Amino acid sequence: MLDTPRRGVRTTGLRPRMRVVEYQMYVGRRIWRSVFVVSVLQPLAYVVALGVGLGAIIDTGGHHPLGVSYIQFVAPAFLTAAALQIAAADASYPIMAGFKWIRTFHGMAATPLTPAQICDGQLIFVAIRIALNSAVYLAIMAAFGGTQRWAVLLTVPIATLTAMAFAAPIAALAATIEREGNAFNMVFRFVVTPMFLFSGTFYPISELPHWGQWLAWVTPLWHGTDLARGVAIGGLGAGAAIVHLAYLLAWLVAGVALARWRFCVRVTR
Amino acid sequence: MLRLLPSHVVAAPAPRPLATVDPARGDALIRAEGLTKTFGEFTAVAGIDFAVERGEAFGFLGPNGAGKSSTMRMIACVAPITAGTLQILGMDPVTQGPTIRGRLGVVPQQDTLDLELTVRENLYIYGRYFGMSRAELRPKVEELIDFAQLTERADAKVEPLSGGMKRRLTIARSLINDPDILLLDEPTTGLDPQARHVLWDRLYRLKQQGVTLVLTTHYMDEAEQLCDRLVVMDSGRIVAEGSPLHLIGEHSTREVAELRFPPGENAAAAERLAGMLDGASERAEVLPDRVLLYVADGERAVARAHEQGLSPVSSLVRRSTLEDVFLRLTGRSLVD
Repeated sequence: MLDTPRRGVRTTGLRPRMRVVEYQMYVGRRIWRSVFVVSVLQPLAYVVALGVGLGAIIDTGGHHPLGVSYIQFVAPAFLTAAALQIAAADASYPIMAGFKWIRTFHGMAATPLTPAQICDGQLIFVAIRIALNSAVYLAIMAAFGGTQRWAVLLTVPIATLTAMAFAAPIAALAATIEREGNAFNMVFRFVVTPMFLFSGTFYPISELPHWGQWLAWVTPLWHGTDLARGVAIGGLGAGAAIVHLAYLLAWLVAGVALARWRFCVRVTR
Repeated sequence: MLRLLPSHVVAAPAPRPLATVDPARGDALIRAEGLTKTFGEFTAVAGIDFAVERGEAFGFLGPNGAGKSSTMRMIACVAPITAGTLQILGMDPVTQGPTIRGRLGVVPQQDTLDLELTVRENLYIYGRYFGMSRAELRPKVEELIDFAQLTERADAKVEPLSGGMKRRLTIARSLINDPDILLLDEPTTGLDPQARHVLWDRLYRLKQQGVTLVLTTHYMDEAEQLCDRLVVMDSGRIVAEGSPLHLIGEHSTREVAELRFPPGENAAAAERLAGMLDGASERAEVLPDRVLLYVADGERAVARAHEQGLSPVSSLVRRSTLEDVFLRLTGRSLVD
């Protein structure tokens, strides 16, 4: 009798990557309630405070200086910015811990999983979480009148793409740093927060001085915000939409390549 | 039955019967020639040759920094080799790393368990990394919980478990894929004596089942307990090779007499004692607090010391151990 394969071990394709996602789901099962509460409370606070509160001052007397009500203007931008911030957080300390403290990734590297698969799986998990979070966000905004057309559903994939375009290089950083992660504080203080303030979230970037607009054009967040706002309230040309998408995809591809490389260097040393 | 698999699916062969190994046939599970690992300017492994046969328990002994762990990480197909050749299960780690890793079990020096998950979940998830199905894993996980003697803690989180329990779980986890070779990097470092003995008992059981064990240790008793054959490494090189008994015969004497003299008198006593030794194989070594005589007959050496008018504060005669060999070969100075 010929040798019967005891087991076929699949070493390419999506499946090995989904094993990493499955692991993260297992870990996440214990904390999903608190994660869910945060993902509801945060958009609720932003929408009520800024969309409704600040909106009441801006849209005085039924007049809309931005063409639509202020809540409709900021809602898709909040969605995108929140997605990016949460993804950046998920790609920072949790990934660093997987190398440094819990050492999960080193354990995975001893199995048929390759460093690139471990990296991809980790990023896929973050993307799934961001997509779900964005869907919750969208539902809350809809409840407060922040949306008016079906195309607004596209803001969920747009926000997820924007978030991952920024989170992938953060994951590369998380796989690189050896010390306690002060680098993340720098990134959050000097990159993430300013980006939130100057990427057209609260006002069109045409209000900024010229150099400010240049800065906004460089950030992935402005491209994501402009795209999400475009599908949510209209007024975005196909050419601009394609440029936004291409720019975000370029960040994503470069970021994933960088992250895979750093994962590989870290576990194979 | 022959099942045709798509090319990206790697078929693991059915377990083969334990064959008597003929080294000349060259079917070693691990074969390394001129194996080298450098990190920048630093050479961790300096061109070593060894082969591990099926069913063997093979040990790497050496002080910290000798290159044991680097060697293990190359065998585990995690760290790439710098130079030389390495074949594992007849395959090349560079091109077939995932396939080889699918047939290895790895117990790393530092545990990589997920402390937030339970014992059972840790085993299950790890099996999933090997592409095992839920149905396959269900009985396997139960079997391994039993093997690790963790039945009562199966649904407890890993975090509060003792060091010995965590180590047993790590070993159980490494067996989830029925590995052809089990790699253990300092399996009992940091454990108390009871936990070590329980662990040895588990490893001994695996050895009897024909699992090929490759381990590193700096505990001599561990090496004597578990290894059929071992190599002593120092500064990235292999300085001796053989069975524990063979190594003792080769590099030490049958017995050691330890004579303790008052402080400051040991060196002078050693000089007088050295004169009565058989210079070819026997020797004396001075330590700050005692003199060691490596001799064929320890009792006789002590008697002759007294005849010479020496009166040690205390004396002890014991068999030579692997530790004597180890210290002889790698020196007494600290490696930090």
